Amino acid sequence: MPSLMPNSTWRVLSWLAVLLLLAVGIGLIFHHVAMAIAIALGLYVVVNVRRLLRLDRWLRRRRSVDAPDYDGVWGDVVSIVSRIDRRKQFHKKRVVELLREFRRLTTAMPDGAVLLNQDNEIVWFNERAAQWLKLKRKRDIGIRIENLLRHPDFVEYVKQVLAGEGPETPPVVLMPGEMNQWISAFLVHTREAPQRLLIVRDMTLQVLLETMRKEFVANASHELRSPLTVISGYLDTLGDDEQLDPTWREPVNEMRRQADRMRGIVDDLLELSRLEGRHDLAGDEPVDVSGLLAVLCKDVLALAQHPNVTLKLDSTAKLKGAERELSSVFSNLINNAVKYTPAAGQIHIRWWTDTEGGHVSVQDTGIGIAEEHIPRLTERFYRVDAGRSRAMGGSGLGLAIVKHALQRHEAKLLITSQIGHGSTFSCHFPARRVLE
Amino acid sequence: MEKSDLSHHILSRFNDDLERIRTQVLQMGGLVEEQLKRAVQALIEGDSRAGEEVARNDHKVNAMEVAIDDDCSRILATRSPAASDLRLIVAVIKTITDLERMGDEAEKIGYIGARLAAMEQPESRYREIKHIGRLVADMVHETLDAFARLDAEAAIAIAKKDRLIDEEYEAIHRQCITFMMEDPRQIRRAIDVLWVTRAIERIGDHAKNICEYVIYMVHGKDVRHVHLEDVEKQLKLRGSKAVE
Repeated sequence: MPSLMPNSTWRVLSWLAVLLLLAVGIGLIFHHVAMAIAIALGLYVVVNVRRLLRLDRWLRRRRSVDAPDYDGVWGDVVSIVSRIDRRKQFHKKRVVELLREFRRLTTAMPDGAVLLNQDNEIVWFNERAAQWLKLKRKRDIGIRIENLLRHPDFVEYVKQVLAGEGPETPPVVLMPGEMNQWISAFLVHTREAPQRLLIVRDMTLQVLLETMRKEFVANASHELRSPLTVISGYLDTLGDDEQLDPTWREPVNEMRRQADRMRGIVDDLLELSRLEGRHDLAGDEPVDVSGLLAVLCKDVLALAQHPNVTLKLDSTAKLKGAERELSSVFSNLINNAVKYTPAAGQIHIRWWTDTEGGHVSVQDTGIGIAEEHIPRLTERFYRVDAGRSRAMGGSGLGLAIVKHALQRHEAKLLITSQIGHGSTFSCHFPARRVLE
Repeated sequence: MEKSDLSHHILSRFNDDLERIRTQVLQMGGLVEEQLKRAVQALIEGDSRAGEEVARNDHKVNAMEVAIDDDCSRILATRSPAASDLRLIVAVIKTITDLERMGDEAEKIGYIGARLAAMEQPESRYREIKHIGRLVADMVHETLDAFARLDAEAAIAIAKKDRLIDEEYEAIHRQCITFMMEDPRQIRRAIDVLWVTRAIERIGDHAKNICEYVIYMVHGKDVRHVHLEDVEKQLKLRGSKAVE
């Protein structure tokens, strides 16, 4: 406060001047001017030191001791200090309240949150995270998160996210020290802030549901297979029986076709659940893609009615992977193309390699797929046009199998399509899987 | 306290190196932990494919050991670390050897699990292996936590648990002998179960060794082949002296 300073200086100086004048006056009366001034100054010092000491005592114990009641400069000092003190108290209270609110908020959060610095060292975490990751306040601050959450999948995930090529979904790992509780930890990382945030979610329910679903599908298809075998066996015998009443021939043949279709669905379901159950990558036996495609092409040409199929093999390279799975990928793609392309249409199949890896594409001039359906095509039993696909006799699982089998080969499936002009399905394998 | 020691170095690159090695060791530990869990799981569930996969993945553990060993030699040669840094490096070199052996034992369990999957499951469904496996998996997990936190007290507490596992091993041992005497057709399986239990028990021993290295790293005291109670007493004595 600039106005206070000169004002108080003026007051102190005037007090001192009055005191000195008084001392000089008394000194003149008693002929001891120097002595009088000295005594006056001495008194002045004593009074001020006492006030200073009291002020000091009050400042040290201002919670329990009342503020000294001074006038003049000392009074100003006391009131300024009290004002600053009050303001500080007010701010402190506000900050503490905010902090409490924040803590209540983070405790109420359904997810665990861990704040990490640029070296992945733990800076802060909420109670939920402490509970799930078995962290303890103070003890675990400053420890790298990978040192405590050591699951190889999680470590790999963190590495990928920090390299900027992170997968969208974090891995689901067992809760530390637990046998049947799962969590997923999602790392939020931006270029702007050096800190990172780790969101931890309880995934136990999802994992259990997912396991139950997978087991159900696998068991149900398995259980369906045996009665189906019996039914088709009898139907086959009946169909081949020369003495069968002609009125029954057509119904029996239809039943045979439907039973075959059902077996196809069950087989596809089993194949899918087999693929889903495996989290490892496909092995590395060399697969001759050119040969595989040539055989599949021949199968198509053997059909009674087929579109014009051209096969273009630009590479003789082999792919590391599982032959059976790759064969089912390509045959599913080619069969789809055949199904949705009229007999006058064209199908181009191509295999080529470049610096990015190996590619297989199946291009047709069929009916095409509307854009909104493309992202959902690989869902099981997803059908663009339910009536037509069923009439074609598909299981509705082909592209789901393709997706899962390609995942095991670290490959990507790209679908481009235009209604009325046809579609292109292409598989892109990484370069490390190509054997020249 | 060790943590602040690490941050003393003016050469921050050295700090980074030491921190990285610690992280690598713990990641190797995480891998071994996972291998152990999956091997035991494969055995209990009779999943031969999972068992073989564990056996196949052992090379990853070995590769990590070699990489960390290289890093340690490089640090020893170029930085000539002293005091707590030297202790860290020495402890790391020993720890990775033990971790690698644990990996080998997990590989063994995976192999035997794949073999046992072909046989009919016993009535107990390998309950005893599940139990001892859980005990050891917890022990390994806690050991690595103690390593990450440089927590010597926890390390002592974990090392004490090894006795529990030895007792469990003894019990399974006796049980298997009884089975073999009752029904000679069970001998083959019983021997396999014994091998698995033995491997699990060995993993517990290796975890105990790592706990000793943690104590060495924190207190600079070699506590191998010393009774744990004595170690505890000594460390407490030192602690109280330090307070005085």
